[in-house]
Amino acid sequence: MDSIIKAEHITKAFTNHVALDDVSLEVPRGKVYGLLGPNGAGKTTLIRIINHITAPDSGSVMFNGRPLTAADVVNIGYLPEERGLYKKMKVGEQALFFARLKGLGRQEAERSLRQWFERLEISGWWNKKVEELSKGMAQKVQFIVTVLHKPELLIFDEPFSGFDPINANVLKREILKLRDEGATVIFSTHNMSSVEELCDSITLINKSHDILSGKVSDLRRRFSDNSMQMRFAGDFQTLRAAIGDAAASVEQTPPDRDGNSCARIRLHDMADMRQVISLANNAVDLRGFSELLPTMDDIFIRTVEASNSNQQ
Amino acid sequence: MNSPLSIIISREYLERVKRKSFIITTILMPLFMVGLMVVPALIAVFSSPEEQRIAVIDNSGVIAPRLQNSAEVNFQTVALSIEEAKADESFNGVLEIGKHIVDSPSDVRLYTHGPASMMVEQYISGQIESDIEAIRLARYDIANLEQILNSIHADVTLSTMRIDKADEETSSGLSYGMGMAMAFILYMIILMYGQMVMTSIIEEKNNRVLEIVVSSVKPSVLMAGKIIGVGLVAMTQILIWAGIVLSFTVWVMPLVISSVAGSDADFAAVLSQLGNAGYVAMLFAYMILFLIGGYLFYASIYAAIGSAVDNIQDAGQLQMVAVLPILIGFILAPSVLNNPMSGVAFWASIIPFTSPMVMMARIPFGIPAWETILSLVLLYAAFIGLIWLAAKIYRVGIFMYGKKPTFSELIRWARYK
Repeated sequence: MDSIIKAEHITKAFTNHVALDDVSLEVPRGKVYGLLGPNGAGKTTLIRIINHITAPDSGSVMFNGRPLTAADVVNIGYLPEERGLYKKMKVGEQALFFARLKGLGRQEAERSLRQWFERLEISGWWNKKVEELSKGMAQKVQFIVTVLHKPELLIFDEPFSGFDPINANVLKREILKLRDEGATVIFSTHNMSSVEELCDSITLINKSHDILSGKVSDLRRRFSDNSMQMRFAGDFQTLRAAIGDAAASVEQTPPDRDGNSCARIRLHDMADMRQVISLANNAVDLRGFSELLPTMDDIFIRTVEASNSNQQ
Repeated sequence: MNSPLSIIISREYLERVKRKSFIITTILMPLFMVGLMVVPALIAVFSSPEEQRIAVIDNSGVIAPRLQNSAEVNFQTVALSIEEAKADESFNGVLEIGKHIVDSPSDVRLYTHGPASMMVEQYISGQIESDIEAIRLARYDIANLEQILNSIHADVTLSTMRIDKADEETSSGLSYGMGMAMAFILYMIILMYGQMVMTSIIEEKNNRVLEIVVSSVKPSVLMAGKIIGVGLVAMTQILIWAGIVLSFTVWVMPLVISSVAGSDADFAAVLSQLGNAGYVAMLFAYMILFLIGGYLFYASIYAAIGSAVDNIQDAGQLQMVAVLPILIGFILAPSVLNNPMSGVAFWASIIPFTSPMVMMARIPFGIPAWETILSLVLLYAAFIGLIWLAAKIYRVGIFMYGKKPTFSELIRWARYK
């Protein structure tokens, strides 16, 4: 696998606690990678290490196959979770300042800034002072500053916090667009629905340990309990009687939007699917049938709870 | 001009220099100082005070003929009763001299309309005093009294020469004044701009812009950029002030010198020494060196403190580490000036914490060059050690929110990898 970041056995301790304990992570190039975990799990510390802001006590970080150095930082765009701007500076002037810190020349920086301001429809803000902007407006500026220098690797720490749904969608669209243009994106979040929408792979960190990682599609299948959703017209009791012992359980669930009755059916084994369908087909009028994969939310909660109870 | 350090320096510099408050203080401060010096002199020169007409009722008959008028006081002997004289509004006051004034000098009263000015009171009592003395002297019937008095009158002007400096003429008064002034300038600039570094770091940390900056540059570069940028602001301000003072010296001082020349030998000597370009340049050069060293030294401490706390209130205790030595250095200055070669003066001017202020106070007295050089070397060496330590604390401190760290925690941070 072609990986852009490969962190191995990272450990980092502060005065009173261990922030990361033997955490490893491999981020494939050109994908969106989710870094998940409850608050205080150590995500931000890991991100700071990948950004070369702090150094790990032990362990190594490889960037493009070589050990990460300070010079690599220009190839990374980082949007921190806690973020602000200089209040007294004008928006354009400030964006230029950050762009130049990333190594862009003044003219080049100004040209692509103007393009980005156009793209996010904020051209009119160039000469405004930051203190006049709302929080969401400031975040657009911060986003532009993060991606402006076209880094290979983008790291967003809780990017959607503080965004209204419309701007959050703009941000999602832009993140996917950047990925399609070849960038690799790492983002940390506990907003699980955005993980399902955006992430190709994830690592879940809990209490300083990496407890789960893999492709989102693989994980959802791995955590599947062989549940199906059946939509039908007819009597639920008839359906349950017809299926009988062919499935592990049959539960009634609220009807769908179109007024169809619904049932959640857990199979003993995925191989029993055809048999269950034909039994059901004889009893009720089938309208639809689909696999019920666990949401990332379910996986998150189950894994974190299991890991917490293991530790106790 | 495109290294991250220079970009940060220029941002820090321009942000401050473009502020209205900077422009205003930079221009107003010297005007204020000059005003403080010049206005009283101008008042003295141009506002000749209103002449005070004093009616004199001399019951002794010997004092009145001897009273001499001055610009401020005009004596007029009158043959009125005391009540009539008091009623006459054309007189500012009535001086009633007792009959036996020569033998009982307290037998004299001044009645005035409104408050009497101290100058007038002093002038009148001085006049009467010398008159009484002259009359009493005359009672001894000494021949040629006038010649004797003239021949014994003496006017002393003390010239102090340095034995160790090839008999160069110095003025302790001038050295004292220069030493105090320079110690004060160092104290003020170091405290003001050191704290500016600290508050600006706290502010960056508070509104989380720091997190964004350190995603592009190393924390140590940001810290260095801030210290240098703020330092350049201080330097700009000092150079502008120096320019204003210099032009004041070139255009205004000659006028002042010509107007006071001859009247006061000491003052003229002071002015001529101030006019000595080499001497002034030497002092200025030393001052800049100590200013830069002292500022860098304390700005490092302030930067470390600023990174460790969330708001100015929390900085209070930690700040004492910086404020106390600066203050002690400044408080020591007067005693050092009184005895510039004492042991306290020597050590306080060598040890980096107090050395900028105390050494600057001593330099005008002409101390051995090796002491100055040793003090400078120690100051800059201490700064290098300190900024290294500060950078380590800063790197950890800027990500610490929420709790007020203790001094020992800062030291522990410095040991993190």
